[in-house]
Amino acid sequence: MSERELLMKKLSGANFAALEMQLYLDTHKNDSKALKSMREYQHKAMEYKNEYEQKYGPITVNDPFGDSDYRWLNPPWPWENESELIK
Amino acid sequence: MWQYEKKLQYPIKIKKPNAKLAQVIASQYGGPDGELAASLRYLSQRFAMPYPELKGLLTDIGTEELAHLEMVGSIIYQLTKDLSIEEIKKSGFDTYFVDHTTGIYPASAAGVPFTAAYIQSKGDVITDLHENLAAEQKARTTYDNILRLCDDPDVRDAIKFLRQREVVHYQRFGEGLRLAQDRLNEKNFYSFNPSFDK
Repeated sequence: MSERELLMKKLSGANFAALEMQLYLDTHKNDSKALKSMREYQHKAMEYKNEYEQKYGPITVNDPFGDSDYRWLNPPWPWENESELIK
Repeated sequence: MWQYEKKLQYPIKIKKPNAKLAQVIASQYGGPDGELAASLRYLSQRFAMPYPELKGLLTDIGTEELAHLEMVGSIIYQLTKDLSIEEIKKSGFDTYFVDHTTGIYPASAAGVPFTAAYIQSKGDVITDLHENLAAEQKARTTYDNILRLCDDPDVRDAIKFLRQREVVHYQRFGEGLRLAQDRLNEKNFYSFNPSFDK
């Protein structure tokens, strides 16, 4: 796994855990432990997202690290297999 | 509104193309119990949801289903990449290929184009939540059947993730139904539709 893929895996993991808590909170809105957990994962995801966007390019189009460059179009797109792009 | 995130919910990295498998998995893109039907079902029903928990739940699960639609599309894209004409003919993918080449088109494995007839939006919270509980189980069964037909570990990994999400959504919809019933007449949930009767 490339460094890029590893960082994406960490980001996706934090995003996923936050979403799982979010759906749980939709039906358990008074669970303060779940709320705290969701906030922690959201915070972690934000940190990974910043690191990823700085190193590899934007995940959302408002790219905070690409002032002079429209990096949105740079590969890979999510459905492309990264190992395949290298060859 | 929505904003796109240039990432998949769960990674898809398939090493071996397999046209036959792509044709089967395509049913979860645009088939009767697929992810397009799921997202349209929840994102349409949510307008008639009477309680904040249910407005939230249908919005959030409907949004996740769009991410699953993208994952299934990515699986089909990678499974049909760099296929030779011989492989296309041999695998039976030729019947899809003739109409769509290797483009991603919402249809069932048997080739029936996507139709809104796969979903219901009844404007009644009890009815719609029961539809959704059934829909999650139907999708779970379809993923089970795909796992029975598939021995590629890269594909199985992603399909198992998607299958597990159906189980979680079923659980959440069950809780949503309980929340709705708690607010209705305990003796007869069906005597009153909080989305319509005032």
